[in-house]
Amino acid sequence: MYSRLSISADVKNLPVLRHFIEETGARLEANHEAIECLIQAVDEAVTNIIIHGYRGGPGNIAIQMDREENALIVSLRDQAPHFDPTQIPHSDLTESLEHRQSGGMGMHLIRHFTDKVAYQVTPEGSNELTLWKKV
Amino acid sequence: MEITVTQAQGKVPVTIFHIVGDIAADTSGQLETQARQAIESGTRHLLLDLSQVPFVSSYGIRTISQIFTWLRDREGGEDDAALKKGLNDGTFMSCCLKIVNPSKRVREALSVTGIDMFLEMHNDMDKAIASFN
Repeated sequence: MYSRLSISADVKNLPVLRHFIEETGARLEANHEAIECLIQAVDEAVTNIIIHGYRGGPGNIAIQMDREENALIVSLRDQAPHFDPTQIPHSDLTESLEHRQSGGMGMHLIRHFTDKVAYQVTPEGSNELTLWKKV
Repeated sequence: MEITVTQAQGKVPVTIFHIVGDIAADTSGQLETQARQAIESGTRHLLLDLSQVPFVSSYGIRTISQIFTWLRDREGGEDDAALKKGLNDGTFMSCCLKIVNPSKRVREALSVTGIDMFLEMHNDMDKAIASFN
């Protein structure tokens, strides 16, 4: 049984998001390590939507979390301009942190802390990013 | 997020930020402001106590990197090219900013983003303080 959360695109809502992932992960009986990894990945993804997608302007982000067999699945939907974050190049760790592409470090962490990431544009025209984490 | 500041005396005076809470896009500005104020007030050696920090996002990591840059600018020393060479061959470590007691997950995030290439991470407070010179 999935859980849903809807937040406005404001970094002040990130604690609510992190708490939602933690509580839902526990309710879905996932191990603590997997939950921590998803908190990291989802926070990064939603922060990118707020700052780079909506560019700090108004908007909404819908989060849905579920468990299928041995994986937690989180999908994020937003109405910001279409952008596929899975196409962001991998970070160059020798580059100084302030010179790395903004959002690139976040995607680097998302890739590390999840087992699979997928992007699509929904029939309604929303961005949808889905993250999988084995439990 | 809350930050409590203490001072310790090792070989040199060390300012310690005891941070409680997540360091993410919603809170990293607070850390940045407090660090800048400390540096402008004379702090030259800063130790970040992350023992009570469950989570650090890329925004927190970027803030930590900014603090490193501010302290490095005050200290002088090698130029950017020498720094990059030192990072590539593993010989450079920051003299002025260090981290103590990161959790396993926070240490992993710092490692994945390469920040452990130039910031020492300690598991013992006394040894961390003594490592500044």
